[in-house]
Amino acid sequence: MKKADVFVIASIIVFILSLAYITALGGLGPLPPINVRRIAINYLNLTYNTFTPYLTVFALESVTSIVWDFRGLDTLYETAVFYAAIIASIALYRGVYMDFKKNTEKTGLSPIAKTVTRISLILIPTVSASVALHGHLTPGGGFQAGSIATVVIVLSIIIFSRYFLPIHGLSKNKALLFRSIGLLGIAITSIALLLIAIVLGVNAYIFQNQAKIDAPLSFPSLVDNYILGGSLLFFNLFEFIAVAFGFTIVFLLLSISEEKVKKVTMDG
Amino acid sequence: MNRLIKSIPISILSFTVYIVFTGSIKLYDIVTGIIVSIAVGLITTNIVLENPKKASDPKRFLWLIAYSLKYFFISEVLSHIDVIKRALSPKMSLNPGIVRVPYETNSDYGEALVACSITNTPGTVVVDLDKENKIFYVHWIDVKTTEPSLAREKISKMFDEYAKRIFD
Repeated sequence: MKKADVFVIASIIVFILSLAYITALGGLGPLPPINVRRIAINYLNLTYNTFTPYLTVFALESVTSIVWDFRGLDTLYETAVFYAAIIASIALYRGVYMDFKKNTEKTGLSPIAKTVTRISLILIPTVSASVALHGHLTPGGGFQAGSIATVVIVLSIIIFSRYFLPIHGLSKNKALLFRSIGLLGIAITSIALLLIAIVLGVNAYIFQNQAKIDAPLSFPSLVDNYILGGSLLFFNLFEFIAVAFGFTIVFLLLSISEEKVKKVTMDG
Repeated sequence: MNRLIKSIPISILSFTVYIVFTGSIKLYDIVTGIIVSIAVGLITTNIVLENPKKASDPKRFLWLIAYSLKYFFISEVLSHIDVIKRALSPKMSLNPGIVRVPYETNSDYGEALVACSITNTPGTVVVDLDKENKIFYVHWIDVKTTEPSLAREKISKMFDEYAKRIFD
């Protein structure tokens, strides 16, 4: 081994040890506590707690409770940003139309891949719906479910053809319609209790799920001893629709050939 | 209405998958499962099914179950043992090559079943197919014959016979 190699190895070891020493002394900022942090204890205590009815979410999944209740407004804006990004993609592709009168028999991958994918067309949406509708109980939720459902879209485009979805009735405009329905559902759910409260003349908050001390209205959280998670169920469902169709729009647009897009965008 | 009736077999499959995946049979799961499976059935029926009568024939299901048992517990095990022996033997008795293997099943699903069965058993892989002449090109770890009909006999005859009974 050369002297230079020994020097390089020794300096790496010294660097790592020094960095570890400095980190351990708190030189790079405060160290995370060894115990569970107070905010985490609060989240865990309040996700489902019948003894604190004015603070609990009445759902079993802590992460979904945080995402759509404790910090729900934040998630709403995230969803809005995603929606704006989709709108921007559509704006970039303005004037580019998909012709979908082509026969997909002779395009795509082998007949075996196509047949197997046909079966996946049943299985993947079913599983994604289950993930969305049980997001308040088990890990998962609207975004995850929407992402799973999008696998079908990618498979269809690659294995059959980019014309496959439009031929079977899922055009870009229809996907946009469903995407908007999803977002509208999220918006309505976030102010649903407020609208009812205005009619009844009581207090309510934007993004309210369960009753608070000064706001008596709640989304149904327990039906026939089954935990519904209040507004989380609706948020997950509408987010599922919004995300699945949002991604669908993007993949449909991306599947249009570059020549065709350039022809429209460059030549006007 | 016609489409709804046609989609029943798909909805049953979708409902079963939903319940198995969810792992619960409370009222909520059953109600949401029914709604989801009807929706999935209606959307996919024209893409997935050509002849719904075939899908609702119990005899075909029984053949499918019989085939699954035979395939997973006999064919798979025998092929695995054969390949394990080859891998562990010092001589590594390999005689690889690609052979033509004709098939008789007439449906897309039958064709996929035979191709996937051949590929899933160790030692044989379908690398291409000629749909017009109904021939699979199969990579074989130990080419015993290049005669298509004899190769079919050794590799895929059983799969093909069952595929015809299940899907044709």
